Amino acid sequence: MTLDHIVVAGGSIAAVTAAGALRTAGFGGRVTLVSAERAAPYSRVPLSKGVMIGTETPESAALPALPDDVELMLGTAAAGLRVDRRELILAGGGVVDYDGLVIATGARARRLAAPGQRGELVVRTLADAEAIAERRADASSAVVVGGGFLGMEVASTLRHHGLEVTVVDMEPPLRRLLGPWLAEYVTKAALEHGVRLVISEGGVVLEGDPISGVRLGNGEFIAGDLVVSAVGDIPNAEWLEGSGLRLANGVVVDERCRVAPAITGAGDVVSREVSPGVFRRTPHWSNAVAQGRAAATSLLDDGASPYVPDHYFWTEQYGLDVKIAGEPPLVGEPDVLAGDLDGREVLLRWSNTDDATTAVVSINYRMPAARLRKMVA
Amino acid sequence: MTTIGSRTMQIDINLSKCEGHGLCEQLAPQVFGLDDEGYVFLKVDQPIPAELEEAAAAGARVCPVAALRVLR
Repeated sequence: MTLDHIVVAGGSIAAVTAAGALRTAGFGGRVTLVSAERAAPYSRVPLSKGVMIGTETPESAALPALPDDVELMLGTAAAGLRVDRRELILAGGGVVDYDGLVIATGARARRLAAPGQRGELVVRTLADAEAIAERRADASSAVVVGGGFLGMEVASTLRHHGLEVTVVDMEPPLRRLLGPWLAEYVTKAALEHGVRLVISEGGVVLEGDPISGVRLGNGEFIAGDLVVSAVGDIPNAEWLEGSGLRLANGVVVDERCRVAPAITGAGDVVSREVSPGVFRRTPHWSNAVAQGRAAATSLLDDGASPYVPDHYFWTEQYGLDVKIAGEPPLVGEPDVLAGDLDGREVLLRWSNTDDATTAVVSINYRMPAARLRKMVA
Repeated sequence: MTTIGSRTMQIDINLSKCEGHGLCEQLAPQVFGLDDEGYVFLKVDQPIPAELEEAAAAGARVCPVAALRVLR
């Protein structure tokens, strides 16, 4: 079958990488990128830092433009798919024909507010970050619901700019992602920076309209001028319901990022069956890049080599620049390979019972990222 | 699309933004390198050689902190 027109549904890094990779691989047909967002493709990474607080402009997060011969359809959401007719249906009723399709519609922020309840803030899109930047001038306190990477970074940024910040979660911050040892190390820095950490096993309820704080499981009320939810994301896969494609915690891809004939997928919207019946998403930047490339090459060449998950991620908070190569969670205690643990400039290694390296972590320890990655290979 | 042989592309590096994640180097090792401290540097002279323009742009696009700009 000849591919004359490849459509990429989505506008974030997985989509942009896929579109660019099609050209790099020599595909000479039409490429169209269909993105629900009005803004040209940008990085979400700076949103929880300078953009959210207004010290960096929204433009500063823009990604370098795609080649001129990639057509951009911005502000256009994918709304449905007719696989047998190779038609992508757009919100508003338009139809785009394709010969090949990359599904990269990403994920959206999970929300906690009741229907119609106003004032819940999240950090997922440029517009979300701008909304916080607009309100923070009049704010002196914030409650951040969720102690994962995003929640703790948001808290760090707000605290750094002088707000009284409380982070609420059902379990100790960062533990599920980083394991107990590293989570505690980072948490200690958060406490020293004056962030209040609260565990509410019963969860929280956002109160007020507009929202003025959160009610904990034990009945306590914590007020905040800003209430930011950072409680995970939901894959944007509903538009594929009824398409016949396999959906389980996102759209299911195989080891080559293939979904169905002439359809591949990449980024936060896709899941992989890592063991029977267990479908896992890997929603972080370097993996979106790896999948975006694989989705493009698999579409062009069915014999392309399998995609290799890229387990590299990072977080920057409370003066700690943490880079992690390896697959979380990190179990047990690490060895110190170099640097100084108390001085917070250190290179750490986690290993399994066979003394094989499972993860290497640098904290404020300057070295080329490639070397860090190689230590785990 | 950039005309082959035009040699007009420049990569602008904002070093104060670079966090050393090295995705640019991973994607386009002919164009980008990381120094001992992990910060990005260009391995080629500017303007970018025509045959490396696509690789340079692709490497710039995967920078998570938007430290790399493509000037044409």
